[in-house]
Amino acid sequence: MRKNFKRFLAMALTGAMTLSLAACGSKDEGKKEEKKDEEFTLTLDQIKLGEDHTNVKADLKFLTHKTDRVDNKFQEYIKEFQKLYPNVNIEYEGITDYANDITTRLTTGDWGDICMVPTTVDKDELENYFVSFGDKSQLGSVYDARFLNNFAYSDKVYGMPSMVNVQGIVYNKKVFDEAGVTTLPKTPDEFLEALKKIKDNTKVAAPLYTNFAADWTMNAWDAYIAGNATGDADFMHEGLTKGKNPFSDRGDQTGPYAVYNTLYEAVKRGLTEEDPTTTDWEGSKGMINRGEIGCMVLGSWSIPQMKESGDNPDDIAYMPFPITVNGKQYAAAGPDYCYGINVNSSNDQKTAAMCYIKWLIEKSDFAEFEGGITAVSGAKLPDALSSFESIDLVVDNAAPAGEETLFNDVNNDSELGINASGAIPKEVLEAATKGDKTMKDMVKEWNEKWTTAQEKHDIKHE
Amino acid sequence: MREKGNFNFLRWIKSAKVNKVLCIITFMLVPLTLLFVFTYLPFGKMIGFSFYDMKYIGNREFVGLENYLEVFTRDDCFRALKLSLYYIGASFIQLALALYFASLLSFKTRGGGVFKGFMFFPYLVCGIAVGFIFKFFYTRGFVLDTVLQWCGFELDNLPYWLRDTKINNFSVAATSIWRYMGQNMVLFIGAIMSVDASLYEAAAIDGASGWDKFKYIIFPSIKTIIVLNLILSITGSLSAFEPPYVITGGNFGTGTYFVIMNKLAHESQKVGLASAMAVVLLVIILVATLLQKLFFRYFFGEGEEEAIRTVRKRKKKEALEQQKMANGGEV
Repeated sequence: MRKNFKRFLAMALTGAMTLSLAACGSKDEGKKEEKKDEEFTLTLDQIKLGEDHTNVKADLKFLTHKTDRVDNKFQEYIKEFQKLYPNVNIEYEGITDYANDITTRLTTGDWGDICMVPTTVDKDELENYFVSFGDKSQLGSVYDARFLNNFAYSDKVYGMPSMVNVQGIVYNKKVFDEAGVTTLPKTPDEFLEALKKIKDNTKVAAPLYTNFAADWTMNAWDAYIAGNATGDADFMHEGLTKGKNPFSDRGDQTGPYAVYNTLYEAVKRGLTEEDPTTTDWEGSKGMINRGEIGCMVLGSWSIPQMKESGDNPDDIAYMPFPITVNGKQYAAAGPDYCYGINVNSSNDQKTAAMCYIKWLIEKSDFAEFEGGITAVSGAKLPDALSSFESIDLVVDNAAPAGEETLFNDVNNDSELGINASGAIPKEVLEAATKGDKTMKDMVKEWNEKWTTAQEKHDIKHE
Repeated sequence: MREKGNFNFLRWIKSAKVNKVLCIITFMLVPLTLLFVFTYLPFGKMIGFSFYDMKYIGNREFVGLENYLEVFTRDDCFRALKLSLYYIGASFIQLALALYFASLLSFKTRGGGVFKGFMFFPYLVCGIAVGFIFKFFYTRGFVLDTVLQWCGFELDNLPYWLRDTKINNFSVAATSIWRYMGQNMVLFIGAIMSVDASLYEAAAIDGASGWDKFKYIIFPSIKTIIVLNLILSITGSLSAFEPPYVITGGNFGTGTYFVIMNKLAHESQKVGLASAMAVVLLVIILVATLLQKLFFRYFFGEGEEEAIRTVRKRKKKEALEQQKMANGGEV
């Protein structure tokens, strides 16, 4: 009796396992077929918020780099959004080391429904990972088309900017006033002079704080070499990617050289923190707020964080980068992280995700709250950016068709990591601290590396 | 005979021989699958990657041995390997200290348990946390500087522990002593415990000092575990990653081989090249381990085996003696 029972149990178990295996297989197949049947054609500009698709039922998973907003601000957004779309549930997942982790997550295919598109995805690969938000020309009727270029490929847009950053310098107004800097510096020389004044006239030990140890903060310097330093929207492609020896000294305090040289001189003249290897990013926010730091070279997203981390939010202000090209100052503006929708999600999920992204961009206060502007055409500058009213915003033009990946290719092969690893600014700071290399040596080195990489990708100079 | 022609599956599967094989297979299946899926498959893939010019995402192009050539022609890869010397040096200090404390603490010492606990504790802290601890430890005017100031040093005379390229590698390598010393010590204590206590007694009666006891009883008995620890420390030194990565980010000349590899793979997206670097390091580590093993076998022997050198010496001696005897016989 007993033996029989055991045998039966074993049989039953085996049977159940086989069945469940079979069930798994068939479910997957069904899903795939469904995908092929209905193509997803909805575009972002078509949706009327609160009117279309209000019955859509979906659970969304949202991967975000804003780990500090997941439990507060984002929960408010979900509540607001659910007033219009009651059947959409959204779950946020904050990732601390976002830029590194997301690439690996993406390759698995099963990562969620919405994420912030990483820059590591080459443009021709976008369609394999993300849903198109529509044609650029169509979307251009609602959004500023200049901000849609980052993740556009053959006129389709795969990433919508969560907000647009303006590149300048975040500074403590009170410190600058105390030091006797009455007008904002407009050239690298004036800037270094202003820093010197702060060092001499106030107790501030670090007029310019580089936050070297945090690593990514050095990377921020690369963002100033194009629009800010040249005023040319085509510089990234024509001047840098395809240009001959783009790092050379232009002699008029403009271009990439001027940006890196400003850093070099500031460090060399002792106008930055004493020991760059032990800086503390979280602590630095409070320090600038209390007036222990003069300024930091970071995008406009940093303004709210500096304001929030102390008792003197009104002392924090934002100024354009001190480079003047032909008598005019420019500020580069560019999309921050862009929202992307998983191409493997179900159609309902895609629809719901589109509605939520549209709502985030147009109805939520996300962009202004984070110190940027929205991608919607004709958006006003927020109060924090008042000193930028007379300044032209420069948005990098998209590379022409067929050359979209050229910059990434040259950049990767040269290992200079522009806008990726901050290898150049880090080298500049090290060299200025140790005093073993001059700007001239380094410029030669960068130009050589860049030219070798250009040659590998068939870019020739006459 | 009738049964043979008529194959009975149930009987066959129930037979002891088949059952035994089935048992072995089913029990082995799980661990072997795990081992294969999570160790050998990724490793095989990595070797495959090393022959391609590829990024994480996107097309890959077969380039043959080009990546390997680049590893050997780049000047930063092997320069980074030189930094391992700092970590190897640190591992010798670490083993010496561990051995010292282990010999002291394996005898009855007041508060021995507490000391063991304190010294083992750093090993339990995760490597990243250790990195952060030491970042603050070395910060200008923080822990280390304050302590040194108590000892009468002037802050102005103290170096920047992580900025000064003459000493920053020492600072970083020192953290691994702090972290792994306790672990080595516990291993040594375990080995020393297994030594027969009557030997100490006998030695004491013969009037052996502490050092004699260590030299003639403890050291020969735990030889094997010392060699093992040395090999592990040296291979570990070649692949040092966490301390420089977390404490200095590999800047100011502290980028070890692994840090450079990580940079190439994640910042410049040269996955193929980084994979080739990993394979080259693996070969280096294999060679280093082999050399060490041969070295120790020659000089110290392995386990119960005698050192090759002693055996040879003895044989020579014996041969000489025999010759002498023979000669003596003649004369």
